[in-house]
Amino acid sequence: MADERTRLKRFTPVHRLWHLGLILVFMTLSVTGIAWMFFETPWGRGLANLFGGYVNVLEIHRTAGLVMLAGFTSHILYMIYRIDWKGFPRSLLGPETLVFQWVDVKGFFRHLGWVFGLNKLPHFDRWSWWEKFDYWAVWWGLIIIGVTGLMLYNPVLTSDYMPGWMLNVALWVHRIEAVLAMGYSFTAHFMIEHWRLGSFPFNAAMFDGTLDIEEAKHDHPEWIARLEKEGRLNEALVAPPPVPLRIFYFLFGYSIIFLGLFLLVFAIANAALLTLF
Amino acid sequence: MSIGRTIICLLVALLLTSPAFGQATGTPKDMAGTGYYRDQDTLPGAIRFYSQLPGGEGGLWGLGPSRQKIRRSSFKMDAHDEVADYSPEVRCKKCHIPQTKDLHYLRMGITCVQCHRSQPVAGVYHYYSSLNPIRRHAYVCAKCHEGATPSFASYMVHEPNPIAPETRGSFPLFYYVVWFMLILASGVFLFFLPYTALWWIRELVAKLKGRPDHG
Ligand code: HEC
Ligand code: HEC
Ligand code: HEC
Repeated sequence: MADERTRLKRFTPVHRLWHLGLILVFMTLSVTGIAWMFFETPWGRGLANLFGGYVNVLEIHRTAGLVMLAGFTSHILYMIYRIDWKGFPRSLLGPETLVFQWVDVKGFFRHLGWVFGLNKLPHFDRWSWWEKFDYWAVWWGLIIIGVTGLMLYNPVLTSDYMPGWMLNVALWVHRIEAVLAMGYSFTAHFMIEHWRLGSFPFNAAMFDGTLDIEEAKHDHPEWIARLEKEGRLNEALVAPPPVPLRIFYFLFGYSIIFLGLFLLVFAIANAALLTLF
Repeated sequence: MSIGRTIICLLVALLLTSPAFGQATGTPKDMAGTGYYRDQDTLPGAIRFYSQLPGGEGGLWGLGPSRQKIRRSSFKMDAHDEVADYSPEVRCKKCHIPQTKDLHYLRMGITCVQCHRSQPVAGVYHYYSSLNPIRRHAYVCAKCHEGATPSFASYMVHEPNPIAPETRGSFPLFYYVVWFMLILASGVFLFFLPYTALWWIRELVAKLKGRPDHG
């Protein structure tokens, strides 16, 4: 029995559902946002026509933006609910939380040193510095893009509360943050999570909620050691999900990856056709 | 799981109520142009933030777009009366390239004369010009944006280039905020793109040497 349980529990169903929702809404926003951004080019116009023209593209983009903000709000409520308020603020620290701590600064420099061959690979606990960065990048991104997006949602209403020329600023901030979020996800995030030799071709941890024990020994040895010491390793081990489900995760994941790469490649190829100023 | 179910319900509900799913192409429904506008802004005394007179102090501690250069033609009834080769037959974009780069013209396909009303084209600050900031919201923007206010009309339709050095003087907030975002974004890319590439190579080297975690 024990030998079948080769995977380590890492994400709860709620986490996975959020990540799935984030993917779906983010990709909807990416496609419609890029279609609008590139509307003056034949490629962008073609994308927009898939949705029936720019009016619909903008409408879908605005609606998806609200869904995203609803998801973000529910995540914040969940977080407030999950925080251990009795032990606050000490409960925010420690290896189980995503809060940046001194170990992450050390982890960052040790990892940098490893990349340049100066020292051994640092032993990460449950979360490495780049995983925490990935998590908080969504926060900062959603705050910036959400505030400016809400401003642009109804420009007439917004200008009741601030000068109308703030919309000029909002649109540019919204654009740059969108390029940052998409550019980061479609290159660095895919690279780190899926294309590194250890995870290639596809790391399903965020989809099936578990991490291969061998992979975990390499990427998170400190976590395993801690689980072992606390005697919790055995209960954290599970069997891999059934094969059809794994195939489904793989196909779903790769269709999203290809959609992202399609947007990335064509956006770069068409960037020179854009009139920005 | 009830949180997950709530999210799904919310998603479906929002999608179903969205007009995008019931409406074919065409002009936006709220662009029908009732001409409804409001002179009253919500903030008391707000007009002083919005008045965009060239050469004046910018709204909101001078961060707004007010310190434009003063053009003589801006105050003329016929902006082109001294332009020798002007003729209403010539396309506007032949002479006004910087003004052809805005969203309204490029993406929404709105023509110049929908905002710069008929001939002769008045300077934007001429007393009777429909684009004069005191009536711009009512005479121009409200044709398409229902409920437009003077504040709304202070949006710069022909926005300056945010990263050009001149913009630091003419629209400081635009300049500083856009530069800040550009530096933030390029910083992330300049770090992560080379870093992930090196990291990938490093894992390959480790694998070839058969020592995954040694230096
Ligand atoms: C033959 C070239 C030419 C054509 C064609 C032309 N303009 Fe002009 N326009 C000028 C010049 C030159 C000025 C003066 C610029 C200045 O003072 O900086 C001017 C000034 C203006 C101004 C006043 C600028 C201000 O500061 O208020 C407006 C508005 C304007 N043009 C709109 C138009 C529109 C709309 C059209 C098309 C119907 C058009 N122009 C066609 C050359 C042209
Ligand atoms: C959506 C309405 C709108 C459209 C469409 C539009 N303009 Fe303007 N235009 C304005 C407003 C408002 C101003 C006042 C300054 C500003 O907000 O940028 C202006 C200012 C100008 C000026 C004065 C110089 C400046 O840049 O401030 C010129 C010249 C001009 N427009 C030419 C054009 C031409 C040529 C076209 C067509 C390619 C055009 N406009 C289309 C609204 C419009
Ligand atoms: C002929 C119709 C028309 C006129 C006149 C017009 N607009 Fe627009 N405007 C549009 C359309 C169409 C859109 C894009 C539709 C949308 O955002 O839903 C738009 C979008 C905008 C936006 C949102 C831009 C963004 O980044 O999302 C602003 C702000 C705006 N207009 C300001 C103005 C101002 C200020 C005026 C008056 C000087 C004006 N418009 C006049 C048609 C018009």
